[in-house]
Amino acid sequence: MKTRYLRYTLFLIVTGLVAYLALGYGSRPFEAYCPFGGMESLWGLFTIGEFSCALGPLNLSLLLALMALALLSKKSFCGWACPIGFLGELCGKAGKKVTNDKLRPGRRVDGLLKLLRYVVLVVFLILTYKTGELILRGYDPFYIIFSGFGHGTVGIISYIVLGVLLVGALVIPMFFCRYLCPLGAVFDPFSRLGVIKISRDETTCTNCGDCQTACPHHIPVQTVRLVRHRDCTNCFECVDACPERKVLSIEAKL
Amino acid sequence: MKVSKYIVPVLVIAALFGGYGLRAAFTQPTTNVSLGESRGARLECIVDGVRCKGTANFFTMLYKDVEGINGIETFATERKAIFTYNPAIITPEQIKAIMEEPIPLRDGRIVQVFTCLSMEPL
Repeated sequence: MKTRYLRYTLFLIVTGLVAYLALGYGSRPFEAYCPFGGMESLWGLFTIGEFSCALGPLNLSLLLALMALALLSKKSFCGWACPIGFLGELCGKAGKKVTNDKLRPGRRVDGLLKLLRYVVLVVFLILTYKTGELILRGYDPFYIIFSGFGHGTVGIISYIVLGVLLVGALVIPMFFCRYLCPLGAVFDPFSRLGVIKISRDETTCTNCGDCQTACPHHIPVQTVRLVRHRDCTNCFECVDACPERKVLSIEAKL
Repeated sequence: MKVSKYIVPVLVIAALFGGYGLRAAFTQPTTNVSLGESRGARLECIVDGVRCKGTANFFTMLYKDVEGINGIETFATERKAIFTYNPAIITPEQIKAIMEEPIPLRDGRIVQVFTCLSMEPL
């Protein structure tokens, strides 16, 4: 079975669960399940021993569990469960049919743009820590979508931000995840150490590049023996796309 | 060591469930207000209307001048409040009545902001 079907099934289950909570059926608000909330709550916990705004223990425990997951299996959460990652991937696939991947920025520009997610992380944390409020949630696609475009903090700028993110995702696959996701920035150092990774048999590989074309993050798999790239989500699109048998495999290696 | 691709979804699901289970390890509240001596009977209430730090602060304000309430801890995501109170001065029913009392808003409307869904002595 293609891994994609399995991933999409898991994506749909998680997205459905979040939507179910967002509709008010759960015992907690849907925001309580956002792992990035764990990062935002750290300052309040360390300084006054209290959770900020609408954050709670679940935000923190999910963050810790996903950090452990990143140490084991890189950014698997992003590639297998995050609703925003799912949306980004679908938009990327739709956009690829129109743009044929010709609008993707060059390697250097791409590398520089990826630094933006660290800027976003720092800005989010500083403003949250200073105010004790989640004042930037109106610009968070997860919040905008699952709050049903409401809850007072979502205004015209939120719609513009969401529009830019959607258009961006059509032009550059995984636009938000690549350049702006602060949770991705948190996972980066853990992901680099991830134990489970894709390995390439250099002797049988024909360097056709199908793996890089299939990768949602456009990682040049055909140039390395072990994929240690921080953006790898272990989605295995490259493994499924490889025309040669047993060139790409999945290894557990420190 | 080569591993099956199915290990990744298993790990993702385990992390999500593990994270959910681990939440009990963090017992820090959203607000923790001491209004008197720290000892007394404890009452846990599930309160509809406590959603964030702002509403939790508003909720605790209701008890600022109430005699017999020694402390209030609120947990926004759990919609929970834990009262420490002196049972010789105030009863759980009175505590419930205070939170459910309609409050005049700035626009002139008088509404019930909080509803006690359940009460349980600790």
